[in-house]
Amino acid sequence: MDYTPPPLFKQGTSAVARLVFYVTIALALLIVDARFDALRVVRQVAATVLMPVERTVLVPRDALRATFDYAQSAAALASENRELRRRMVAEAEGSVRQSQLEAENNQLRKLLGLVQQSATPVTSAEILYDARDPYSQRIVIDRGSQHGLRAGYPVIDERGVIGQVTRVSPFQSEVTLLTDKEQAIPVQVVRNGLRSVAFGGARAGLLDLRFMAASADLQQGDLLVTSGLDGTYPPGLPVARIVQIERKADTAFSRVYCEPVAGVRSHRQLLVIRYEAQLPPRESIDGPRDAKEARIVRADRPGVKDAERADAKPAAKPAAKPADKPADKAAEKPADKPAAAKEVKR
Amino acid sequence: MTNPQYLLRPVNPAFIALSFVLAFLFNLMPWGTTLWVPDMVALVLVFWNIHQPRKVGMGVAFALGLLMDVHDARLLGEHAMAYSLLAYFAITIHRRVLWFTVYTQALHVLPLLFVAHAVPVVIRLAMGAPLPGWQLLLAPGIEALLWPLATGMLLAPQRRSADVDETRPI
Repeated sequence: MDYTPPPLFKQGTSAVARLVFYVTIALALLIVDARFDALRVVRQVAATVLMPVERTVLVPRDALRATFDYAQSAAALASENRELRRRMVAEAEGSVRQSQLEAENNQLRKLLGLVQQSATPVTSAEILYDARDPYSQRIVIDRGSQHGLRAGYPVIDERGVIGQVTRVSPFQSEVTLLTDKEQAIPVQVVRNGLRSVAFGGARAGLLDLRFMAASADLQQGDLLVTSGLDGTYPPGLPVARIVQIERKADTAFSRVYCEPVAGVRSHRQLLVIRYEAQLPPRESIDGPRDAKEARIVRADRPGVKDAERADAKPAAKPAAKPADKPADKAAEKPADKPAAAKEVKR
Repeated sequence: MTNPQYLLRPVNPAFIALSFVLAFLFNLMPWGTTLWVPDMVALVLVFWNIHQPRKVGMGVAFALGLLMDVHDARLLGEHAMAYSLLAYFAITIHRRVLWFTVYTQALHVLPLLFVAHAVPVVIRLAMGAPLPGWQLLLAPGIEALLWPLATGMLLAPQRRSADVDETRPI
């Protein structure tokens, strides 16, 4: 029998008082988390505590997957193998040529006194799970700050850019996909070098280029690659392909929709590029423009010598810190905006 | 009332903890962005807040909410606030609800679960997000349907016989 006495007397704090207390804390947390970056430690601690449990829960799913993979018929495996071999041969020629071109390019850049581009280190990672949040497009991968990841690193698969690491805890990190409402990526049309910024969230699974003049030279099927002007993404990674262009008479701009080339939902293995922007420390920031575009700092400044570059590497990163929200970014900007505006005009 | 009335044994705190752990593990499974998946933690929370409001209160609800927020990579406090409200409403109705049959209890619990799912939506709407899909409406319904099952499973240890003999070995 339940021997506890009837709760006539000692009831503790009233339920309403407790409710007010907890709701106030929750509200405070919400505001602090949404506006400031102050709760990172709390989140990291909680994520580290949760990590073994999360991994344990994933075990049955992975076992099931392994069983299915094992049960896959030999024919399917053979055809996949053939396909991979074929692709390898097709790409072999390109990769041989690439190393030669890279050397040549570096040589030419040295002659011109430009900043050299070097191969960036990568970390391979596996998708653990999709974050259970219907409002944002995020996935969680199994590598974290212990493996050298940092917020801001771009994430790719074998076809192109998938997104960006936005939050790091010691053993796993969150990747925000390009199609998230708050993501933007500077791009360039391969065909003619036209630059723009692609934003996520226009339509489900698509990116859009905003404020492109109706007369801009864009065609359906144009491939967009990263322009590298932001210092976050290395230049030349395939991003998206234009699928639809709406030119309307009543506005001066056309709406351009692009489809990401990376198989965002179809792969488990990803590559995180530990890319440190080789930009000189920023002394020029222009004011009123969009934060993403504002990071267009000239990469080809002749003043930076090789020795300096090595030192400048870590220093350059904080300046080009990625933020998943343009609003936050604007707030992060130091106050030397007027100077920057002047430099742009010159 | 035609239902048999049980005299329940005292609840084992370890069993409460175990039920929360299992419900939490269910929520940690890789559900992706499937909207209609029931929130087991919310269900177990309502259950214990109605049956044992002095053992499981809003503090537990708040802590579990924070953990859910971290796992789902959401803003800290979304689930914490939803679960706190859930616990509060459960505590306010706990004296009345237990006089009804299990199925009527499910009807009483349904609006509470609905509120628990609505709070994160409202928070996100306030921050400028669009409405999620309609499948989200199914989640509280499924949870309410699971209420009789939850009652059967979670009260089972308390319904054991006080003096064990050959005819009633458990």
